[in-house]
Amino acid sequence: MFRAEGVMKDFPGTRALKGVSMDVRVHEVVGLVGENGSGKSTLLRIAAGVLRPDSGKLFLRGKRVSFNSARDALRQGIGMVFQEQSLIPGLTVAENIFFGAETAAVRHGVYHWRQLYREAKEALSLLGLDVNPHSITESLTFAEQQKVEIVKVMQTTRAGGGEPLVILDEPTAVLDGRDVEMLLEQVRRLREVGSVIFVSHRVDEVLSVADRVYVLRDGDCVFECDAGGTSRDDLVKEMVGREVVAARYGASQSALVNDGAPPLLEARSVKSGICKSGSLRVHKGEVVGIAGVVGSGKEDLCRALFGAAELGGGEIVLEGRRARFRSPADAAKAGIGYVPSNRRVEGIASGLDVAENIVLAAPREACWGPVLSSKRWGELVKHWIKQLRIITSGLHAPVEHLSGGNQQKVVLAKWLAKSGLRVLILDHPARGLDIGAKEEVYRAIRQLASRGMGIVLLADTLDELIALSDTVVVMRDGIVSGHWDGRQGKKPSEAEVTGLMV
Amino acid sequence: MAQVGSLLRRLVPLAMLVAMIGIVGGVKPLFFSVYSLQTQLSAAAPLLLLALGEAGVILLGGIDLSNATVAALATVLLAEWLGHGPGAGIVAAVVLMTTCMGAINGVVAVWGQVPSFIVTLGAMGLWAGVALVASNDSTISVNDPQAINWFGGMSAGVPNAFLVGLVAVAVAAFVLRKVPGARLGMYAIGAAESAARMSGVRVGVVRVAAFAGAGLFAGLAAVVLAAQDLSGDPTAASSLLLPCIAAVVVGGNAITGGVGGAWRVLVGALIITVLDNGIAIVGVNPLAEQIVYGGVLLVAAGVTVDRSRVRFVK
Repeated sequence: MFRAEGVMKDFPGTRALKGVSMDVRVHEVVGLVGENGSGKSTLLRIAAGVLRPDSGKLFLRGKRVSFNSARDALRQGIGMVFQEQSLIPGLTVAENIFFGAETAAVRHGVYHWRQLYREAKEALSLLGLDVNPHSITESLTFAEQQKVEIVKVMQTTRAGGGEPLVILDEPTAVLDGRDVEMLLEQVRRLREVGSVIFVSHRVDEVLSVADRVYVLRDGDCVFECDAGGTSRDDLVKEMVGREVVAARYGASQSALVNDGAPPLLEARSVKSGICKSGSLRVHKGEVVGIAGVVGSGKEDLCRALFGAAELGGGEIVLEGRRARFRSPADAAKAGIGYVPSNRRVEGIASGLDVAENIVLAAPREACWGPVLSSKRWGELVKHWIKQLRIITSGLHAPVEHLSGGNQQKVVLAKWLAKSGLRVLILDHPARGLDIGAKEEVYRAIRQLASRGMGIVLLADTLDELIALSDTVVVMRDGIVSGHWDGRQGKKPSEAEVTGLMV
Repeated sequence: MAQVGSLLRRLVPLAMLVAMIGIVGGVKPLFFSVYSLQTQLSAAAPLLLLALGEAGVILLGGIDLSNATVAALATVLLAEWLGHGPGAGIVAAVVLMTTCMGAINGVVAVWGQVPSFIVTLGAMGLWAGVALVASNDSTISVNDPQAINWFGGMSAGVPNAFLVGLVAVAVAAFVLRKVPGARLGMYAIGAAESAARMSGVRVGVVRVAAFAGAGLFAGLAAVVLAAQDLSGDPTAASSLLLPCIAAVVVGGNAITGGVGGAWRVLVGALIITVLDNGIAIVGVNPLAEQIVYGGVLLVAAGVTVDRSRVRFVK
């Protein structure tokens, strides 16, 4: 179906791909795993026509091909679902599915509405999606939009008549529990239509959905296997090239002190957005994990605690005193930091360099009197680059040039550089990071707690959440449905937490 | 290497300026006469001051369409009030008023959540009307120019008005480099407003300050204009609006925000001044002046826009 042979690609300063070959057969799901920087994205982008290889050959249905653009690849039957969504929010689902495509329903750019909706409905049901094609796209949940996006790419690549190859670049990275399951089901259905390359950081998912798996490491294909006879540990070992320490969340020794002091931060029946009544307490050195599916209100609760969402009711109490945050600036001033899940938009300030990003939340630390001091600024930034082992070509490298893991460390550094920071809210801090970078983020979380910082954590997976947290709070439908206090020393099992989540 | 590249890119507007001066001077060597140069610098001063204020708003990704009109109104107020009290006090009061007019734009834009384009479009109409009413639609001469005379004079052969502009550029450059709210706040809001907000930057305060700054510089421009013309004109300064936006962009400041600096505004204002006067000096058919002006402006902007840090050019 599709074959890449000896594909090489150089970027300034690095060789991203050192001659990689891969096969995708008809009606097959090929899993592709590897750490960030292993060359996965480069390989996918070459297959999808976004990048051109420096050398090597691509074959599609037995014929040698080369793509001039992503559009070219799409027309020949290869489409990629990117990590960022490309749907147009104001259009209906059906319009989005056929956007830019020429089919029976869209002739010379003119819509035949009835046919358009009929075809959209067919395409949606082909992948088992229960979404009304008349819905306005922005009214769908994030997970639904993601699925529509997959339908769109399938539809566009099918338009040429041949069997399509759909590339999914970490489609599950930002999904939770049940949504992940549904997406994997969608991938299985997609296999009936064409072939799939499936990329995910979550090895379990790849093993459950893929027929064969390739492991990339440092631009080489180091391992290929049938998904059936391979264990998770085997794959992880190949990915990192070394044995992974079993306790990958770091020593989960609790730093909790029971000194009877009032909590650093307390939410009392906080109401905001879809969070109807969220209560929790964060003490010194405590990691409070909030579990819940998308739509449980856990994100809204966290945003309200940081003043980023309006408080519709209830109260926020800071060390025994009631606080009123009208903006994130108020919360930051009171010693609360927030690492958002949408790293690229709300986390890093792209367009600014690493040094500027690191002092963005605490410019006073880099000041001499009322003005910035280059010396203090430079020292501060160097200190945090060293502390968090941020890999950057320099203090003044554009922050968007850093890898995802290092960008996340910059966001962390931004808050840690603030003296007087007492509570850090981490909204999916390890999202989209490779295993190595995840480990470093976990280690940083434990270290912060051991130094007395209070932490509120939203995590990508339940085992991550339970392992890292002292206290676990479960939310469902906007209210707290369960609570395990860390000071009683008992941690819940995944099954117990899941039971209260759904 | 990347550092050298970005330095070179930043020098493009300056090279453009030098090239234009070279062309105009090559055709008419008289351009380099002391008198001609003094005229150019005098003419550049109000434009430079307006453009400096405009650049601050543009750096945040907004726009101020009202600053030139505010300056026009301020020339009228200066002409009417000077002589009816202590000169310095009146000048200060007028500049304070223009600063407040700017701040009002910011307050409406931030707390009313109205796009700055619309807010300042409305303000432009409003203040133009006030200027017409206050002056009874006529040019008013300054009866007692004592307090502002200095701005129309020269020091060591350099027009004082231009010196004021240079000092303003230097101060703005210092603020943009050293004051956290500007150095970090303004650039972060312009480049990535969500991230700035989520980092605790007081976005509203910074934006209001930028609009207030635009008002302040409009007031200074008005002082210079009133001193140069010794009159207050309810409409004359309004024609500086588009040249001042052009000066900001041609100097290498991104119209979409996040990229820019005070020295770039100086270069941009000089490019526009040379372009404006150069056309007449070179002897272009007056009927075709607009064609040449528009054409050269397009080329200048095309060459000088710094695309290295702007992902989308809108």
